[in-house]
Amino acid sequence: MRIVIAEDDALLREGLALLLRAEGLDVVATAGTPAEFLAAVDAHEPDVAIVDVRMPPTHTDEGIVAARAARGRRPGLAVLVLSAYVEQTFATELLAGGAERLGYLLKERVGRVEEFLTALHRVAGGGTAIDPEVVGQLLARGRSDAGLGRLTPREREVLSLMAEGLGNTAIAERLFVTDGAVHKNIRAIFAKLGLAPTDRADRRVTAVLRYLDTTARR
Amino acid sequence: MRRRVRIAVDALEHLVGGLGTSILAMAGLFWLLAVVVSSLVGVGLPLIGGSLRAVRSIADRERGRLSRWGPAIVGPPPVPDRPSAALRDPAVRRELAWVPVHATFGFAVGIFGLSLPLSALQDLTYPLWYHLAPPGEGAPGIPFWNVDSLAEAFGVALAGLGWLAVLLLAGGALARSQAWPGRRLLGPVPGADLSLRVAELTATRAAALDAHAAELRRIERSLHDGTQNRLVAVTVLLGAARRAYTRDPATGAELLDRAQQAAEEALGELRTVVRGILPPVLDDRGLAGALDGLVAGCALPCDLAVELPVRCAVSVEATAYFVVAEALTNAVRHSGATAATVSVRVDGDRLLIGVGDDGRGGADESAGSGLAGIRRRVEAHDGRFTLTSPPGGPTTMDVELPCGS
Repeated sequence: MRIVIAEDDALLREGLALLLRAEGLDVVATAGTPAEFLAAVDAHEPDVAIVDVRMPPTHTDEGIVAARAARGRRPGLAVLVLSAYVEQTFATELLAGGAERLGYLLKERVGRVEEFLTALHRVAGGGTAIDPEVVGQLLARGRSDAGLGRLTPREREVLSLMAEGLGNTAIAERLFVTDGAVHKNIRAIFAKLGLAPTDRADRRVTAVLRYLDTTARR
Repeated sequence: MRRRVRIAVDALEHLVGGLGTSILAMAGLFWLLAVVVSSLVGVGLPLIGGSLRAVRSIADRERGRLSRWGPAIVGPPPVPDRPSAALRDPAVRRELAWVPVHATFGFAVGIFGLSLPLSALQDLTYPLWYHLAPPGEGAPGIPFWNVDSLAEAFGVALAGLGWLAVLLLAGGALARSQAWPGRRLLGPVPGADLSLRVAELTATRAAALDAHAAELRRIERSLHDGTQNRLVAVTVLLGAARRAYTRDPATGAELLDRAQQAAEEALGELRTVVRGILPPVLDDRGLAGALDGLVAGCALPCDLAVELPVRCAVSVEATAYFVVAEALTNAVRHSGATAATVSVRVDGDRLLIGVGDDGRGGADESAGSGLAGIRRRVEAHDGRFTLTSPPGGPTTMDVELPCGS
């Protein structure tokens, strides 16, 4: 797995590279600005890009913009976005084109190395990794939604784990239940949200539903 | 009694001020009359607009004077450009009515008020110099009274006491009566549209809020991009150390070392951010006092010149303080200087800050010194930052900030 890191803070950039290299991963380039990052993507043909949202010059959403540009240049590039805080608009902007090969995590999750590596591999393998905090906010906003409001606490839990990108078995392990129980929960969720397996028309629903959509089709 | 005297002195001050504007009004009145007369034969017509604007500026002077003294008088919108429209404007018409009243009545009251203390002085001292007065001229102000004995001269002095009593008892009323036409005629037309004034206040208020928002954005940024990144680096290094611990304890120990370093950096940065928000000393001692303390604590001998007749907005003062603090820190750390100078003064609505040292120069903004931080902070306030630091020195830094007050 070839990795490019785009992070403007030098200490953090080197720390990340050090961590990943120590795990035997191939960090092919690091970049401190969006321009450097795009040049590195062109030059090194990476499989995964780890991108900070806030980068120079304005330190707002340059990272998101650069990540989308990189995906435009290199379709199939997996992107894991790191953010200092949860910003709904960043998440939806990023997920607007589908959630495949995308991750959006709070920066501090990197310190939980095992989980971070799992998320990285999942994204590189075509999956999704959404920060629990992001999912929580999306769900909180969706609470007024008739469908989400009808979910039981357990179903909500399952939904947020699904949105984080966990598979059924992983969810079952996390919740200490059987695979069958998770299956039942998921069927109930789909029914309550009125999601037919091929339903992808509803643009109003948030990234979680988008994710559910792709899960349902799989 | 002391209160009475103070009231009388104040009243005298107002009367003299009113006398000043009444003389202006008189000049305006003559000008108006000249324009009217010449307009009758046609040649004065182009002068009408200008004369109305002249009247407006005289009236504004009176408005300012009355606003400083009593309730503020809100000025009307600008005089319309077309003379016909201007002459229909109710505010202009009221000003035209005010001019002759203030030029005559206001002038007379002002002269009378001013003459009270002078007459009192003259009469009270009369016994001292009556024998020098040319015979047959009579007492001051009373020509038919021929004073030729000391007793009679004391009688005149009694009249002086009378003038003084008039000033003490009626001074306030005189000043009020002189101001009355202005208060009546120069205030907003009843039911007038105050939207212009509101718009003006809204704009200045928005500017103040903008400065405030810029300040908050700066704080948010230094927390997110500085302190938080340091802390994330700590967790990353800790995570790596934990993973390395079983495989390779030596690397693990080194990573822990670096994690600790990053944590200390985070603390240092947090301190800087907090100090940068609002140095507590500013509140206690104002900008001048705070700079005094800063200079006193500086490792270099430092010459401080502060000229601050007014206080600036709090965030501007905090920025000025920050700029000087950073500049002096730089001078001490990097310049090798033996002395520094700091000057802070106000020019119009700008606060000008200059910091210089006699060191080796060659300061570079991109070299990670505090200079970039100074520029960011100054520009957040719409200020200007210039640095001259040729190799070999000396270094001077000039910063200009809008006062925002």
